[in-house]
Amino acid sequence: MRSSRLSRTVKGTYLALVLAFLYVPIVIMIALSFNSSVSRAEWTGFTLSWYEKLVHSDAIIAALEVTLEVAVVATVISTVIGTLGAIGIHAMRKGWATVLINVSYLPMTTPDIVTGVSLMLMFIFMKVPLGKGTMLMAHIAFDTPYVLFSVMPRLQQMNPNLYEAALDLGCHPVKALWKVILPEVMPGVVTGGLLAFTMSLDDFVISYFTSSTDQNLSMIVYSAARRGVEPTMYALSTLMFLAILALLLLINRRSGLESVM
Amino acid sequence: MVQDTRLIEIKGISKSFGETKVLHEIDLYIRKCEFVTLLGPSGCGKTTLLRILGGFETPDSGTLLFEGTDLLGVPPYRRRINTVFQKYALFSHLNVFDNIAFGLNLKDPEALGAKTRKEKKQEIARRVDRMLKLVKMEGYEKRSIDQLSGGQQQRIAIARALVNEPEVLLLDEPLGALDLKLRKEMQLELKTMQQQLGITFIYVTHDQEEALTMSDTVVVMNGGRIQQIGEPKRIYDEPKNAFVADFIGESNLLDGVMRADFLVEMLGEEFECVDEGFAKDEPVDVVVRPEDVMIVGEDVGMLTGVVESVIFKGVHYEMMVDTGSMRWKVHSTTMQPVGSRVGMSIVPFNIHIMHKGDRP
Repeated sequence: MRSSRLSRTVKGTYLALVLAFLYVPIVIMIALSFNSSVSRAEWTGFTLSWYEKLVHSDAIIAALEVTLEVAVVATVISTVIGTLGAIGIHAMRKGWATVLINVSYLPMTTPDIVTGVSLMLMFIFMKVPLGKGTMLMAHIAFDTPYVLFSVMPRLQQMNPNLYEAALDLGCHPVKALWKVILPEVMPGVVTGGLLAFTMSLDDFVISYFTSSTDQNLSMIVYSAARRGVEPTMYALSTLMFLAILALLLLINRRSGLESVM
Repeated sequence: MVQDTRLIEIKGISKSFGETKVLHEIDLYIRKCEFVTLLGPSGCGKTTLLRILGGFETPDSGTLLFEGTDLLGVPPYRRRINTVFQKYALFSHLNVFDNIAFGLNLKDPEALGAKTRKEKKQEIARRVDRMLKLVKMEGYEKRSIDQLSGGQQQRIAIARALVNEPEVLLLDEPLGALDLKLRKEMQLELKTMQQQLGITFIYVTHDQEEALTMSDTVVVMNGGRIQQIGEPKRIYDEPKNAFVADFIGESNLLDGVMRADFLVEMLGEEFECVDEGFAKDEPVDVVVRPEDVMIVGEDVGMLTGVVESVIFKGVHYEMMVDTGSMRWKVHSTTMQPVGSRVGMSIVPFNIHIMHKGDRP
């Protein structure tokens, strides 16, 4: 009895420590974003003025526009490419499919810095000016595998006769894809798209290397931090954290629902 | 009723998957309004043959004719053939109505005798309604597929195929997932539907009883080859080789030697039979059905043996009788106690002689 109580205490403490290290900094940052003092050392009262300042900063609004534009366009394009890619790989012979799947895994496992630097070198080599366009291309490149690997499992679970049934009932192959395969894998497509959007939204490293003229929100926070942090950045980071948290909760809920079904 | 015109002709069709040859030079014709069953153990090539008919597999060689014209170049969506798949393959993102209407929605309004889109919609609703009545699923239009039981999904899959008014309906072990009682009901219903609609059914199964119950013609397959084609009764009564005899119904299989016309030697004794035309002293396979072995008095039997086991099977008892040289399976409505000595007698008509073939 006693030993089990002891082990429970140890386990509980350990978990509490882990969670504390993970979340206390974020909680402090959120708290500071409402602190009326510029100093981190003292609490002088509650204020929303930092959030107000955010809205009035042209640089931040511009960065928000870049972030959203890149994230939305990259999500749409990578969702289309990833879904079609998954369907294509699924229809391939096993040997080739395995090769392509492994090739698609690589960008997910290579460190962002490697992806960022190599993409930058490629753009410079091809004489493409680094800006919003190159950032977008880079985002499409690292988003696509997330869509691919959300759609693949749906295809593997799918009854292989479904496509044949559509042909049997009079569909041309393209129509069968559109009317039967796509609706069947739609949950995976949506989850993949949400994942891609999340990845795009909070990317810093790859964006930093592939764009010099246009900055997204993460890049703004980084350059502001180098000049000395001001509370508007706490407010901005808080908002980004909440946005990503909401998206992740949505994705989790979806995958939870799917595993029930 | 089955008509004499040949609807489908399969000539010398072969198919390999990698190194394994699954179909060897298949020759078969299927008549209009015929209920044909492809029967055989798993891996015998029956499903592959069905898939070739549906257009989902291309044979390596051979020809396939539909009403005399080549069918192999025709993609599945242009064949006047529809399929009921083994695992139903219903579209779970559509409800029952839209599943059945799927094929009709793809058609031009003119093909449905409608001039406007509104008329087409009404015509589709009318036809789907008729199909739901046929498969006894009225009132289920708005249900989602996930809400249906296996048997109900089966009915929707049949309706979805039949609503397109195909010339031929292919069914790939459609009743495999249902329980025994439901399976028997569906067998009768399928047969009735086939006769009512006057459509050719090509049915794949490994269940010999199912094949004998429903079919006009049974095609027994094994190892990628057709073993025998014939009416159910003929196949049961006159199996062409030991494989067919063993696969269809139950049987006692023996080695024998033809001593002369109408005389076969087996188990060291000579028996009268009704077969002729074999070479003298030709080794043959002999099949005797368990229900054709009559239990008689010990002193008057052609064979005598000891009853080893008795199992009650409902209508009859299944007994294993050991004669020393062979264990006989015997079906009889009267029970003999285990351990008793009995005599057995077989009339010449019930001794089936076959050329030696590949045994199962």
